[in-house]
Amino acid sequence: MRSGASPKGRAGGLLPDAWRIQLPVFEGPLDLLLHLVRVNEVEITEIPVVLICDQFHDYLALMEELDLDIAADYVYEAAQLIFIKSRMLLPRPRRGAEESEDPRENLVQRLLEYQQIKDAAQSMAEIHELRRGIWVRPPEKVEEEEEEEESLDLGDVSLFDLLGAFRKVLDRYDREHPPPLVLEGEEYSVRGQFQRILESLDGDRPLDLLQDLRGRSCRAEAVSAFLAVLELARLRLVRLHQTGEGELLLYRTERELRIEELEAIES
Amino acid sequence: MTDRPQIEAAVEAVLFAASEPVSRARLLSAFDDEEREEAAAALERVVERYAQRDDRGVVVEEVAGGLRIVTRPDLHPYLRRFFESGGRSRLSMAALETLAIVAYRQPVTAPEVQELRGVSSSGVLRTLLERRLLRIAGRKPVVGKPFLYCTSREFLLQFGLNDVRDLPPLEEFEEMMTADQADRAESRNEPREEIPSDPEGEVEA
Repeated sequence: MRSGASPKGRAGGLLPDAWRIQLPVFEGPLDLLLHLVRVNEVEITEIPVVLICDQFHDYLALMEELDLDIAADYVYEAAQLIFIKSRMLLPRPRRGAEESEDPRENLVQRLLEYQQIKDAAQSMAEIHELRRGIWVRPPEKVEEEEEEEESLDLGDVSLFDLLGAFRKVLDRYDREHPPPLVLEGEEYSVRGQFQRILESLDGDRPLDLLQDLRGRSCRAEAVSAFLAVLELARLRLVRLHQTGEGELLLYRTERELRIEELEAIES
Repeated sequence: MTDRPQIEAAVEAVLFAASEPVSRARLLSAFDDEEREEAAAALERVVERYAQRDDRGVVVEEVAGGLRIVTRPDLHPYLRRFFESGGRSRLSMAALETLAIVAYRQPVTAPEVQELRGVSSSGVLRTLLERRLLRIAGRKPVVGKPFLYCTSREFLLQFGLNDVRDLPPLEEFEEMMTADQADRAESRNEPREEIPSDPEGEVEA
C-alpha cells in the first residue's frame, strides 16, 4: 500500500484550508470516488485510475489525520483501486486480436450504478421533505361488530410487528406467571428433636407425646420427633406410659445420656 | 333513491372519516347497486372539488392505490406549531440511498445493497424496517438464506406513490440531476483550481 508520504501537502492541495472544517460527508467509498471524479472533471467511464487512486489514499490519510474512523469499506475499496492501478500500469498482454478487457470496467459499472442511486436518493429526499408537511387524521377507533371478524391485512404486518407482538405476549405471560415463591425446606434432624424433647423433660413433669407431635410445624418434624422418642426409649432415657384416655406420656428416667450415644443419632 | 347532492355528500363523508387511503371500489361498496354509478361520478366531482386551491387547507390525494384527504404540504408550519410537534422526521442520505436501492431492485438482500452502496448497510436496513418503510419479503434461497427486503405500503404513503411501478425510471433522475448539477457547478467553481496536477495521471490519459 502507498505510504501516503505527504498527506498534508497533497490532500491539502485537494482541500484548501478553508474547507478543512467542512469536509464533505461521504456516504461511503463510492461516494468519495464520485466526488473525486467530479473534482477532476472527468467522465466516470474515462476515470483516470492512477490519479484517482492516489487522491483516494490522500483522503484516507486526511481522514486519519482528522481522527475520523475509517470504515473497513474504505480500506477495501482502496485495495481494489490499487489492484486496478497495478493492472493499468502493467503492459497489457496481447492475445491474438482479442481486446483485453479494461481493468476499470467493473469499477466504472459500479460507479455508474451508484451515481444513479445517489441521484434517485437525492430526488427522493426532496419528495420526502415536501411530503413531510402532509398531515393526516389519526385513525378513529371504530368499535368492531362482533359477528364480522375483521380479517387482518397481513400486507401491513412486518417482521418487527410480529416480534413486537411476541415480546408483548412473553411480557404478559411473565406478568401473569410470576416465578413461584420458593421456600427453603426446613430440615428437622432426629438428633435435634431428641435434644429438644430431652430438654423439655427436665424436671418431673411428663410430656404428652400426642400433644407434642400435634404442635410440630409439619409432617417431617413430627416424624423426626417420633423417631427421636423411639431413640429416647431405646436408650432408656424416657419411660412411656399410656393412660386410660389413650394419652402417651413420656417420663424422664434417671439414666444419664452419654455423649457417644448422642453422636450416634442421625443428625 | 337518494338524490345527487346527498350521494356526493356521502362520498365526501366516507373520504373524510376514513383516514387510510380507500380504493375507489372499497369506497363505492358503501353504496347500493343502483346508487353506485352515481356515486362513482360523484367521487370524481369530489376529487375535483378538492383539487388544490389557494383557499383550501385539505386536498384529496391518490396514494398507495387509494384516495385520502390530507393537509396541504405547504401548511406544515402552522400544523407544526399547533401540534407542537415536528411531524415526521427526516431521512438520512444513507437511508435514502438504501431506500432507493430497495425500491428499484426489490426484492433485494443486504449483501446486494452493500455491493451497490459500497458500504455495510445492515444498520440502515434495520432503521428502515423500524420506520416501517421496508418489509421483509422472505429469504433468498442461497447460502446463508439472507432476508429479502421490499418497500412497504408506508413507503408508498411517505413518497406519494400509487404503486412501486410508478417510480420514475432511474435514468430520469440522472437527467434531472445533471441539469441540476450544471446549475450548482457554476457557484462551486473556484476550488477546482486547487486540483494538483498529478504526473502519474497522464500515464492514464
